[in-house]
Amino acid sequence: MTPTGLAGCFSAAVEGVLDEAVLRRILIDLDLGLDRVFGQRGKAFLQERIAGFNHDARFRPWIVVVDLDRDAECPAALVANWLPQRAHLMCFRVAVRELESWLLADTEALAGFLGICKILIPARPDQLDDPKQVLVSLGEKARRAEIRRDLVPRPASGRSIGPGYTSRMLEFVQDHWRPAAAEINSDSLRRCRARLRDLGRKLS
Amino acid sequence: MKDAASSTLIFRRLRLENWRNFTQVDVDLQNRVFLVGPNASGKSNLLDVFRFLHDIVSVGGGFQEAAGPQRGGVTKLRSLSARRYPDIVIEVHIGSHDLPNAWEYELRFSQDNQRRPIIKKERVSHAGVELWTRPDADDEKDPERLTQTYLEQINVNREFRDVADFFRSIRYLHVVPQLVRDPDRSIGRSNDPYGGDLLEQIARTPEKTRNAWLRRIEAVLRVAVPQLKELQFDRDKASGAPHLKGKYEHWRPQGAWQNEEQFSDGTLRLLGLLWATLEGSGPLLLEEPELSLHPEVVTHLPQMFARMQSRTGRQLILSTHSPSILADPSIGLDEAFLLLPEHEGTTVRPVRRFQQIVSLLEGGLSLPDAVMPFTRPAKAEQLPLFATR
Repeated sequence: MTPTGLAGCFSAAVEGVLDEAVLRRILIDLDLGLDRVFGQRGKAFLQERIAGFNHDARFRPWIVVVDLDRDAECPAALVANWLPQRAHLMCFRVAVRELESWLLADTEALAGFLGICKILIPARPDQLDDPKQVLVSLGEKARRAEIRRDLVPRPASGRSIGPGYTSRMLEFVQDHWRPAAAEINSDSLRRCRARLRDLGRKLS
Repeated sequence: MKDAASSTLIFRRLRLENWRNFTQVDVDLQNRVFLVGPNASGKSNLLDVFRFLHDIVSVGGGFQEAAGPQRGGVTKLRSLSARRYPDIVIEVHIGSHDLPNAWEYELRFSQDNQRRPIIKKERVSHAGVELWTRPDADDEKDPERLTQTYLEQINVNREFRDVADFFRSIRYLHVVPQLVRDPDRSIGRSNDPYGGDLLEQIARTPEKTRNAWLRRIEAVLRVAVPQLKELQFDRDKASGAPHLKGKYEHWRPQGAWQNEEQFSDGTLRLLGLLWATLEGSGPLLLEEPELSLHPEVVTHLPQMFARMQSRTGRQLILSTHSPSILADPSIGLDEAFLLLPEHEGTTVRPVRRFQQIVSLLEGGLSLPDAVMPFTRPAKAEQLPLFATR
């Protein structure tokens, strides 16, 4: 259950549906609550509104998560560009390169979910150029046909993900993914959790 | 591994001539079909082709009904752009993942001088081999035979009953909340695509299945309508009329029960949508499923449908004006179709054929960003001026 008091209950802004689920999972794990969720219309939508979210973060805790993608060399450069003056209750985190690397980081759970051998999953997901692509190609090796069909796009579709990619990954995040195990392999996730923990302590 | 989804039949190709506002259509279809276009571009007319095929083989239907009274006769069906009085042609290719070219069915028709719909050609092929084509020798002897398709005749369609069964399995849904609440205003209590028979359909489902499905629907509804706590099926003790009742959280400790007459439009539409995804295994036709729903709920519809399809392989053909639906990044450029009214009737093309859309997507735009400007009325900015005088 979401804590009811204002303290410890975050407002959030995210790029998409999957991002929200990941964030929810991370917060539950830290005994923190999620209140309102904004965005879910891609990265540019967030960038245009980040000043507004930051303004509100003077009054209540906020978490904003964006993918680094290829927009900047490192998270620090992106943060400097987006949010030069961070409000004291704003937690602005950058996933390197994409949120999918946080999912890949729980190798054991992912291997179990896809029914593949653990050693196929890259050990340092933060160093991957295109984590989503890696996830999709791991999907090609999935043991169950319906998971393969959901994750892998038909070549003629012209898309990079399969028809049920989002819902399969939602299932993975909600039922299998363990943030505490994943942070061992992903520095950007570890930092995100540490910062949220600090902020949570400040609020309680 | 074998699974149910890989043997499910779907429409793989659709070819039309002179059907309603389409002079020529020839498109390959995938497991999902998204039809987008301006108002009055013919999205519903395109869905109607599949309903027409369903009506030919449905009980109480048949070719004469489907092309006659049900649709106002051949003259109403024929494209206005057509010159003189050409034939209407419907050709569909049907297949599964395992057997892509299982069946072909072609129907060419016009009307005779008594204005009855009359078959000019009917053809069925199986695995690329033609089983038969009409008119045959019997038809020459007795032209009256050409008022009925072989498809609808149980005594001759044994060889290709799969095709008839497949057409019969097509479901169309466009729930009109007012008709769910007041079925007496609907066209009938069975097979009403506007939801007039939704309660009857639910009532007809065996109790065990019905309860299992209502539990699943309840779980989804609770997400979209948090104050709704429980959903139950009920029959009026006096009249026997079926009802749905929902328990709403309330200031009273026990909450309050309300029946479908008090459900909101959005609740009823979502309920109908969820029921349709559970019921049946044939192609599901949906008309603007986004209506009355919160954009946040709409955003999740494509993935909800994807899960349904992953389980059953069932084809989904829907029309939409909703950017939230098109925003799902897995929608293939061969799954979304743009309907554009042109001088010679509306054209139907997959978005991958629009060079500008493809290039905008490569440049990082989302599908709705790239597609919606094609579907807006050319002079939309004039609309606000309507009320100035």
